Amino acid sequence: MWGWRSSRTVVLSAAIAAFAFFCLAPIAFMIAIPLRDSSRTLAPYAALLLDARQRGLLYNTTILGLGTALTATFVGVPLGLALARMALPFKTGLRIALSAPLLLPSYVVGLAWISLGGGTGILTEGIGLQVPSEWIYSLAGATFVLTLVLYPLSMLATETAVRRVEPRLEEAGLLVATPGRVLWRITLPLIAPSITAAALVVFVLAVSEFGVPALLRVRVFTTEVFTAFAALYDFGRATVLAMPLLLLATFVAVLATRLAGERLVVTRRGHVGGQPVAFAAWQRVAAGAAACVGLVALGLPLALLAREARGIDSWARVVQGARDAVVNSLTLAAYGATAVTAVAVWLGYARARAPRGLGIAADVLFVVLFAVPSTVVGIGVIQLWNRPGIAGALYGTNAMFVVVYLVRFVPVAALALAASLRRVPVSHEEAAAVSGAGWLRTMSHVVLPQIALGALSVWVIVFVLAFGELGASVLVTPPGESTLPIRIYTLIANAPPAEVAALALLQAVVVFCPLALMGLGLAAKGRR
Amino acid sequence: MTDPFLRVSAATKVYDTRAAVRNLSLDVHKGESVVVLGPSGCGKTTLLRLIAGLERPDTGEIWIDGRRVAGGGRNIVPAHERHVALVFQDLALWPHLSVSGNLAFVVGSAGMPKSERAARIHDVLRVCRVDPVLADRYPHELSGGEQQRVALARALVGSPRVLLLDEPFSNLDPDLRGALRQELGTLQRKLALATIYVTHDREDAAALADRTVLMRDGAIERITSPDR
Repeated sequence: MWGWRSSRTVVLSAAIAAFAFFCLAPIAFMIAIPLRDSSRTLAPYAALLLDARQRGLLYNTTILGLGTALTATFVGVPLGLALARMALPFKTGLRIALSAPLLLPSYVVGLAWISLGGGTGILTEGIGLQVPSEWIYSLAGATFVLTLVLYPLSMLATETAVRRVEPRLEEAGLLVATPGRVLWRITLPLIAPSITAAALVVFVLAVSEFGVPALLRVRVFTTEVFTAFAALYDFGRATVLAMPLLLLATFVAVLATRLAGERLVVTRRGHVGGQPVAFAAWQRVAAGAAACVGLVALGLPLALLAREARGIDSWARVVQGARDAVVNSLTLAAYGATAVTAVAVWLGYARARAPRGLGIAADVLFVVLFAVPSTVVGIGVIQLWNRPGIAGALYGTNAMFVVVYLVRFVPVAALALAASLRRVPVSHEEAAAVSGAGWLRTMSHVVLPQIALGALSVWVIVFVLAFGELGASVLVTPPGESTLPIRIYTLIANAPPAEVAALALLQAVVVFCPLALMGLGLAAKGRR
Repeated sequence: MTDPFLRVSAATKVYDTRAAVRNLSLDVHKGESVVVLGPSGCGKTTLLRLIAGLERPDTGEIWIDGRRVAGGGRNIVPAHERHVALVFQDLALWPHLSVSGNLAFVVGSAGMPKSERAARIHDVLRVCRVDPVLADRYPHELSGGEQQRVALARALVGSPRVLLLDEPFSNLDPDLRGALRQELGTLQRKLALATIYVTHDREDAAALADRTVLMRDGAIERITSPDR
């Protein structure tokens, strides 16, 4: 339909080139440099495998990932089933509230639980024993906090998968079996690949996590990479430490993509005729359980932070002190979200219109890149950009934050936008083409207006993620510059807990404002 | 005349503000085959879903074999305890289960002893003329006609008291449709089931109906008994 000489070729080529330069090159560089350097042979990798300390890291990292994946699945799957199949009260609001912890920076949730069970936490001081403190500063505590942050992934994946299950299949079962048996034998087997894929993604994100293990003093690969680079200035060690993490993330991401298949970019909600009536019997229990999870994952952390923040002498002083960091964060997150969406929309289009095989390969690549741990991204970006010339001129400026956001969030944004674009039938483009419209005109007048809300949602989500980004930002931050997450992270060791809690609360408020606006927008669209 | 085996009494079902079924009453006797005809959206499928227990009537009652299964705005007997089988328009064969797995789920849910299940499944597949070599195949590996037969076998394997069919042959070519229609008629008479067959095809009605019910806008417009 569109020839090679059309504007389509230029625009998509530019987007793919930007993707290759910003997202692929840092990771490729990080892998290639140690192998090219004769002084760094494969010996460090071998040593890494034999080192008992590294094996301990591998153990901690794997347990953190497995534990989080299992518990997040245990919490998220029933909630997803309830959201998909039951007429829960205030369902839209409940879904947003239950999803919100995913967008709350994980270390903010960690700080809240420290204020409850830390050394000077309410619970610890209340019972006069150090048991809560010992628990929260442990692998189990980190797993618990990450579960509260990541269970929404499992929940949303389950809900989407259940909505794709043709209700007739369950109804056919309900004619002969109890709802429990139908759920166990019909529904769950049909959605099992999606649940497993979500569990694998949770695993990858948990092993890639830097903020929570760092905060709760749990030694895992991400914290070790950070220490090797930021404290010991040992670039080689940091790179070598990043490799197992990269391989693990890649392996699991590929597995997840294979399991999810085309589901990654298909969001059909093929559900008509309401919920099968028999599941209505479980509504009250489900509503109660959902409210409890929402309370523990969202309400309690915010309440704990608010309580802790009461100890500050002046809100004005805290806000004034963090003003530059807040403004920096807001500005950079806005630039970052705009840049990410601008690149991702064309990548998403290319993915949506790609042949099946190529499309699945692109999905694998996007998921693998999204799974790359933040500290590993930071190391890669430094290796690529910290050099003489134009790159070096940019390195040491705030532009590096935007670069980090591009590396980290373009892949996931492209996946999300591909899902939106797949819902625009190709025939709409064909109709425009036979009407005499060029590709750019077709995109601007026919295709993009149909995904405007999807693109806006992606912008908001990237803004929120960028606003909370810590693991990579903390490595590339120029001297004298700071974002709110970095300020909070550096203040943890040097400032009163009340001040840290106040900043964390401030961060949560900034995160939830655009989310609330997005929720209102979606609700308004739903009413139309 | 004996008491009807299935009775729908003044049933109404409203979705939002639209009445899919309006004050509808219908009796079906044991062994009787009633064909419900009507244009799309006239409430035929909703009527079947009300009888099956997949929807709740807002008003009116439903009785099966002398027992009130729905009334007072609620389902008194849940779907899986009504012994009603429904063949869906899209068949709804469970894609993750083989042919025998689809049937085994039904007999397993009914609490049939494991030792008897294989024989029962074999018998029903034979009655529905499903080739035994297909038993281990999955739905997507079957032709359209084979899927229809398997869907019918799955409906019958639980020994239902009422058989409901929602345009099950609508997607088939005319030759196959005619053949399956004949087989269904034979089976229905042999098993003496109370059967409601929803269609918009008058040939189906002529071939299968003891009585034909014409529906329009959620209500019964006319009931006729064609010459057989």
